[in-house]
Amino acid sequence: MLLDRTQRQWMIATAILLVIATAIYIPYALNSPQGPRGGSAIGLSFGIAGFALMIFAGLLGARKKVPVWRVGRAQTWMRGHLWLGLVSLPIILFHAGFHMRGTLTMVLMILFFIVVASGVFGAALQIYIPRRITVEVPMETIYEQIGHIRAQLREEAEQLATAACGSLDGTIVIGAAPGGDASASAVGVGVEVSEDARDLLREFYLRRMRPFVEDPARSHSPLGDSPQASGMFEELRLRLPVELHDTLKDLESICEEERQLTCQARLHRVLHAWLLVHVPLSYALLALAAVHAVMALRF
Amino acid sequence: MSPPLIELTIDGGKVSVPEGTTVFDAARLNSIRIPTLCHQQNEIPVGVCRVCVVDVGGRVLTASCVRPVESGMVVSTASDKVRNARRTLVELLMSDHPSPCARQQQSGDCELEVLARAEGVEKPRFARRATSRGRDDSSVAIAVDHDACILCDRCIRGCDDIRHNDVLGRMGKGYRTGIAFDQNLPMGNSSCVSCGECMISCPTGALTNKFHVGTSLRTGEPASPETLHELPVFAGVSGTFLELNRGAIVVRHFRAGEIICREGEFGSTAFYMIDGRAQVSINTQMGHVKTEGGARGFLSKLSSRLARGAEDHRDEESARRTIPIDGPADLPLEKPVAELGPADLFGEMTCMSFYPRSATVRAVIDVTALEMLRNVLDILQRNKNFRGQIEENYRRRALDSHLRSVPVFSGLTTSFIDHLRDKVDLVRYSPGQLICRQGEPADSFYLVRIGFVKVWQAHPGGEMIFAYLGRGGYFGEIGLLGGGLRTASCTALDHVEVVRIAAEDFHLMLEKFPEIRSSLQTVATDRQRENRERLAFVESTPLQDFLAQGLMEAQSLLILDLERCTRCDACVRACADAHDGVTRLIREGLRFDKYLVATSCRQCRDPLCMVGCPVGSIRRRNSLEVIIEDWCIGCGLCAKNCPYGNINMHPFPVQIADADSPGRTRAIMKQKATSCDLCTEHAEPSCVYACPHDAAHRVDPRKFFGALLAQSKRD
Repeated sequence: MLLDRTQRQWMIATAILLVIATAIYIPYALNSPQGPRGGSAIGLSFGIAGFALMIFAGLLGARKKVPVWRVGRAQTWMRGHLWLGLVSLPIILFHAGFHMRGTLTMVLMILFFIVVASGVFGAALQIYIPRRITVEVPMETIYEQIGHIRAQLREEAEQLATAACGSLDGTIVIGAAPGGDASASAVGVGVEVSEDARDLLREFYLRRMRPFVEDPARSHSPLGDSPQASGMFEELRLRLPVELHDTLKDLESICEEERQLTCQARLHRVLHAWLLVHVPLSYALLALAAVHAVMALRF
Repeated sequence: MSPPLIELTIDGGKVSVPEGTTVFDAARLNSIRIPTLCHQQNEIPVGVCRVCVVDVGGRVLTASCVRPVESGMVVSTASDKVRNARRTLVELLMSDHPSPCARQQQSGDCELEVLARAEGVEKPRFARRATSRGRDDSSVAIAVDHDACILCDRCIRGCDDIRHNDVLGRMGKGYRTGIAFDQNLPMGNSSCVSCGECMISCPTGALTNKFHVGTSLRTGEPASPETLHELPVFAGVSGTFLELNRGAIVVRHFRAGEIICREGEFGSTAFYMIDGRAQVSINTQMGHVKTEGGARGFLSKLSSRLARGAEDHRDEESARRTIPIDGPADLPLEKPVAELGPADLFGEMTCMSFYPRSATVRAVIDVTALEMLRNVLDILQRNKNFRGQIEENYRRRALDSHLRSVPVFSGLTTSFIDHLRDKVDLVRYSPGQLICRQGEPADSFYLVRIGFVKVWQAHPGGEMIFAYLGRGGYFGEIGLLGGGLRTASCTALDHVEVVRIAAEDFHLMLEKFPEIRSSLQTVATDRQRENRERLAFVESTPLQDFLAQGLMEAQSLLILDLERCTRCDACVRACADAHDGVTRLIREGLRFDKYLVATSCRQCRDPLCMVGCPVGSIRRRNSLEVIIEDWCIGCGLCAKNCPYGNINMHPFPVQIADADSPGRTRAIMKQKATSCDLCTEHAEPSCVYACPHDAAHRVDPRKFFGALLAQSKRD
């Protein structure tokens, strides 16, 4: 979601609404003998209008549950949710006269502030995070598939390392080096690698890379940092024979993809975590607001 | 009169043999074994491997297989000098030999490796050859590993001298020397009849039987070569090969009512009917996936159902009145049923190209049939006798229905088809083989009987594909109607068989049937116009990346602006909601700049989804939009073939007769292929409508990316 010129109409409409509400509120507040109160005619009107806007904002969730109903484009609903939800805050404040009388109204006000603040925060995240994901994660995949792709990457890394080093636990793999002797490993057709080079690559894989690909987020490995990883692979390239460079390149690509998937998972969680606050509190707010309305009107 | 005897000494023993005998045979007749690789008793000796060297007291050692005996000759077959020379020769051969070779791995009897072990050669001292001579896996039955070839010529002599097939020879010089089939063609494309003589003759793993094709079928009685040779169609088929592939062809007995094969199932065998009668039919519920409901009210949910063409007529519905199947006849669209009898072959495409079964075959009376794997069918297809019978069957029974199944030829009279019956040729092509080349004189018109043909033109940037033609498709008319030269090349995509009509017969047909001429001219003009438009489009599109990502192929794209998209998947859920829970959209795909081209049908101009449909039920309208015909059998091959994963299988419950309870029916789930229909019931696709962040858009790629591409070009 972007706050661009396509939102201008909503922005202007919201501003006009706010100006009108303010224009009504100021003389009302100045001229009321007991100060602005929610129970007065104007105060009640602000309350009804504010509650209606809150309900409309809350209906976005219901609208999303029925995406194919032709009840207006989801984009329109989202913009309404954003701008009308935002303007509902000053209107409710006008309704309350900027006071919190009683426990229920205090709870309501606190909830309202949290809901609006979390909504604004979420909107800001929705502007900022998608851009970051787009730039930082060119290999982005479907979030739910990340675990599966990681498993594939782990398997691919093991296969590459085994093909280049023989058995990773140090024993000779029968058939790994067709036509060669026990001290050499076939990397490609007719290419053989010395025992020392094999040991070096094996040690790197077992000590550095395997812990990283098994749990990139918790391994605190230098491979999790792109420049450091690049330096490590560059050093390996200098120390290993050219026959192993293709394998190194593939392993480096796997590390890069792991880093990107880790980054995507983290950003995805950030992008959606605020909803865990915003959504339940919104429902709580609507429920309490309804209780408040009934109690205020009845008693 | 017998030749005079010659006396000589071999390894200290006096022996007498007829004049003209070789030293090798003289030793063999006296139980003295001389190792050899290039020599076999049933072949003329050539002395190329030199492993059989012996010392006859001359300046140099001599090859015993070609050296005739002389009176008083003293021969040493195992002196140190001879053994050292032989050991060195074996070591030299082993240095280039991929040990263990395929034969050593399969049966442990590679003659070279056995000899090397006997001579104590473990690791050759000599350097290996630097470059590989390659493999040839084009034959269905025989694998060729040129690296394992020791150039002994045993296969060449087997092919030329014993079998008189004259397919094998030598090619190249020096290190590049190798065996070659015909004019150095891939074995599968050559005139090789797969008799197996070369493979039997080969001492190493250079020519081996492709056991991985499968040499045994689990059901049925294995048919012995003797049993098969009793059938006239098997006359002339190599007994050696049938013996080697014992189990790859079996006799099956089906009782009346029993299913022989079922539509949509994947298989790997073909059937040849020996006796009985069978019914071939398509049992799919006729209809295409139709989404509806939205127009009835804004709260009504969309649903998908099967609708027949008669009740839901779509633009450019097919004019075909028959359904092409993998058998000797096409099925009428109104009642897709036909009968098969003795000498009918069906399941060729399934067997050769592993396509799904196109129809269900059920025994009407008791049926006896041969079921065979690909290697056996390939041998049969190369056998003149078998081919002759299959072609005769086709001419007699299927040519007229095949020709008439093509709307352009529906007006042909029976008398003219009778005229064509003996004139047409059935020609087979292997995968990748060129059928005709752009620029060559047009001498024939072709009608596709089996397989798929790719029509393309060569251009500096690579080949430009114009069309994929399946059964019932035809080509060659533009060259024959126009300037007499081929305007495009045509290549077999898989195992293809075409009906070839010579130019003179084609022109005679046009002369007798002017309406066919005008129809064909219209088709030719349309095809040329489409090809020109396509070329003009490619030439005007500037970015290589754009082409490389296949975006140019699309006519309509679903794109997601990744800077707006919050990855909420509302688009995917909306698509699933709109189509009975089956989404036709996956939020993954190619990226171009900040846009994700989501996986949703692109209505490609190069529709790979159409390659392989066993019943030809997927095609496109002139607008390039994919249309799936009512007779789709739900095999799912198009969904598998689509490189973008954009065709989905939609399940529907279908009532079928319950075999366990006669007279009753039961529901089973059958599938129909479907692709994005752009939610045509609505003004806007559901995915776009449901996106809350203005990130999803349906666009024409040329218009949408045009500015972007022009900008990139300027930069």
